[in-house]
Amino acid sequence: MSATLRPYLNAVRATLTAALCVQNFDSQVVERHNKPEVEVRSSKELLLNPVVISRNEKERVLIEGSVNSVRVSIAIKQADEIEKLLCHKFMRFMAMRAENFSIMRRKPIEGYDISFLITNFNTEQMYKHKLVDFVISFMEEIDKEISDMKLTLNARARICAEEFLKKASLIKQDKINQRIPVKISTSLLQF
Amino acid sequence: MILLEIKNRIVEETFKLRFENAKQGNKPENVDITFADFDGVLFHVSNPNGDKSKLRMSVSLKFYKELQSHGCDDLLKQQYAAFLCPTEEGYSVSLEYELDKIAACSQEEIDQVIAQAAFIKRNCFASVFEKYFNFLEKGELGHERAVIHYRDDETMYVEAQHDRVTVIFSTVFKSADDIVIGKIFLQEFKEGRRASATAPQVLFSHRDPPGELQGTDARVGENIGYITFVLLPRHINKQARDNTINLIHTVRDYIHYHIKCSKAYIHSRMRAKTSEFVKVLNRARPEPKDRTRKTITGKTFVQAEY
Amino acid sequence: MTSNGAHYQVAEAHSFGIEPITCHAWNKNKTEIAFSLNGNDVILCKNHNGHWSTTATLSAHDLRVTSIDWAPDTNRIVTCGADRNAYVWTFVNGAWTKALVLLRINRAATCVRWSPKENKFAVGCGAKLVAVCYFDEENDWWLSKHIKKPIRSTVTTIDWHPNNYALAVGASDFTTRVFSAYIKEVDEKPQPSAWGEKSTFASLMAEYSRSGGWVHSVRFSPSGDKLAWVSHDSSISVVDSRRDVQHPVILRTTFLPFMDCIWLSEAFILAAGHDCCPILYSVEATGKLSFVSKIDQAQKRESGAFSALKKFKDLDLRAATENVDVFIETTHQNTITQLSRSSTDKNDTHVCSTGMDGQMVLWDVRIK
Repeated sequence: MSATLRPYLNAVRATLTAALCVQNFDSQVVERHNKPEVEVRSSKELLLNPVVISRNEKERVLIEGSVNSVRVSIAIKQADEIEKLLCHKFMRFMAMRAENFSIMRRKPIEGYDISFLITNFNTEQMYKHKLVDFVISFMEEIDKEISDMKLTLNARARICAEEFLKKASLIKQDKINQRIPVKISTSLLQF
Repeated sequence: MILLEIKNRIVEETFKLRFENAKQGNKPENVDITFADFDGVLFHVSNPNGDKSKLRMSVSLKFYKELQSHGCDDLLKQQYAAFLCPTEEGYSVSLEYELDKIAACSQEEIDQVIAQAAFIKRNCFASVFEKYFNFLEKGELGHERAVIHYRDDETMYVEAQHDRVTVIFSTVFKSADDIVIGKIFLQEFKEGRRASATAPQVLFSHRDPPGELQGTDARVGENIGYITFVLLPRHINKQARDNTINLIHTVRDYIHYHIKCSKAYIHSRMRAKTSEFVKVLNRARPEPKDRTRKTITGKTFVQAEY
Repeated sequence: MTSNGAHYQVAEAHSFGIEPITCHAWNKNKTEIAFSLNGNDVILCKNHNGHWSTTATLSAHDLRVTSIDWAPDTNRIVTCGADRNAYVWTFVNGAWTKALVLLRINRAATCVRWSPKENKFAVGCGAKLVAVCYFDEENDWWLSKHIKKPIRSTVTTIDWHPNNYALAVGASDFTTRVFSAYIKEVDEKPQPSAWGEKSTFASLMAEYSRSGGWVHSVRFSPSGDKLAWVSHDSSISVVDSRRDVQHPVILRTTFLPFMDCIWLSEAFILAAGHDCCPILYSVEATGKLSFVSKIDQAQKRESGAFSALKKFKDLDLRAATENVDVFIETTHQNTITQLSRSSTDKNDTHVCSTGMDGQMVLWDVRIK
């Protein structure tokens, strides 16, 4: 693990642990409603100051807290077009399966690649420290997975090209190469 | 399967079945199959006028007219002379096989006929290449470049110069994702010569056509890519020629096939990782204390604490 | 178990399931507990030889019950909920009968407390007001009067002064206030106290807004001279009316925010919250507020014996190749939301805590 990753993740963990101190809170604006305040944003005093933790320009986490919910948005490193593509595809894929991820927000906050919305209902049903573990392990894994996919994609492209060109560089006719059609000079032509 | 098959497997298998049937002296069966190949090529295998003793294979290529102008007919005549028959309505070429005569041939000959038939699409394409390869060999210069619209919005250009034949394919990427992945592949083709020094040089350009096509109607666009093969005499001499044609005419399909495979691979990998993430999230869920379960017979029992 | 400054032991840890215990209240002799499991019903439970069995279920609310209080002497239970209602339950002929209270509020009620004399109770709510309710003999129903100004956000917590008219109110506008809740229809003329002389209903007697977070709990000390509150900036504050009624002593802690606090005596406060562990603080005569100890020894919990079924289940559901350490080191596994005294003896410091993990833990705390 690189020297800057550990403190970065530690900072995210500490901030998230503090932000996850949420409670059940009924709306004070709409009768008989109970909605995540971080989303409805109708009472200023129920929101906490948002915190951005940033490792570098590209990798950062936005943690927005409120009395009953926390929104965690992650910007994932995308060095080039391929990583951008893979990241975009991956996040869309996960968002489509958001119902399996009870804490996933279907649409990420602008400027970020993925957002989680953790409400008091989530922290009541799940262990808070494990939720934090999940976010941290997600952040660790996602970079690894994307660079892995990129590597295999490149490897595949290289093998394809090499294989093709190797075939193309065979100057002598290859006897094993069954693809060469046989020019018929047999009796058949004399039908 | 890294490289694509040049032959048409359905043709091969259909013929094999019928010919073996004929050889064993069984009663011929009715045939009427329509199927497709790469580049919008259609095949139709049937009995002409319901005559079960004959097998007719018709091929339709949208760009057959263009191929004809490059001597496709002659090449086919040379290859399939005995089998060429009046072309079926709506198709480009038709071949007819009399099962009685086939049955009289040796197994080796039959295999050759089958192989020959399965290569028909390749042979149609070959005419253009053969023609331009010959120009180079004979040192004939000044021929116009051949333009084959082998797909609706994709074109192949073949041109002979004094020391080389250049083959340029234009290809369209359907989505932004394909462009990115396609560029990786084409880049590797460009650099792939390091692995095999004698391979033809490959160039690619994205969006704009290469210099040779400046001033033609070659399309420009974010989703267009151009692949150029520079074929030197060593690639087109009599021994290497067939191999070169085999590979080059499938290159477009080859690249697109692998783009699709890559996407499928990425997809399966994302699926696996996503389900792993769900499992990591599951660790946060406490197990319910109530361990009462029902068996299929309706009995209830309390699962042991573990 | 001993930790620096206090002996303690877990007398009993009982789990009522995995649903959070929203709130709880004990009867007078601490034999019966009323609680709500994050739902619309209030459950009454009694301990029979170590087993907790349900004695009654009070169903009336059609949304989550948010708070319960049990008046010791009159044996009446008051409940309030997110459905904007409050009910007073009386035990008549072996059954609990309810009476609706005319709260006249249009947002969720959040907290309810009987006054010490049990002739009135106060309800805090999301409508940014406190409804003080009293019984109208003439019409045979519960009426309410509102304290509105200057509360600017949801009232999250309330507590009565022993004098039966001063009412401490904490709200999510970061402020703790003390109001007069004197109701001339039912109360005698109050005696002036250290908290102020004004006695007209709803007059503001004290206001502390320097706290930096939502106030989660306010508690008067047994004598009523001191007021403690905990807020979301992880601070614990105490104001001593006899020493300096203007300026609270604020202690900012390094723990996660506390959700509740109780006075064990005039000199000790027990606070608990998101750290899942009760923490003891001392209040000296000089007003100095200091940390004493955590009332829960850190101990590793075993996740149960090894079993093949568990191993494969972990692999399948959690992608865990080795034992996943789910438990944290405290007795409570999730936020402690409420603390209460669980002993009838005033000198005895038996404490009950309930939390979001569905557990009720009884603590026996002895301060050295």
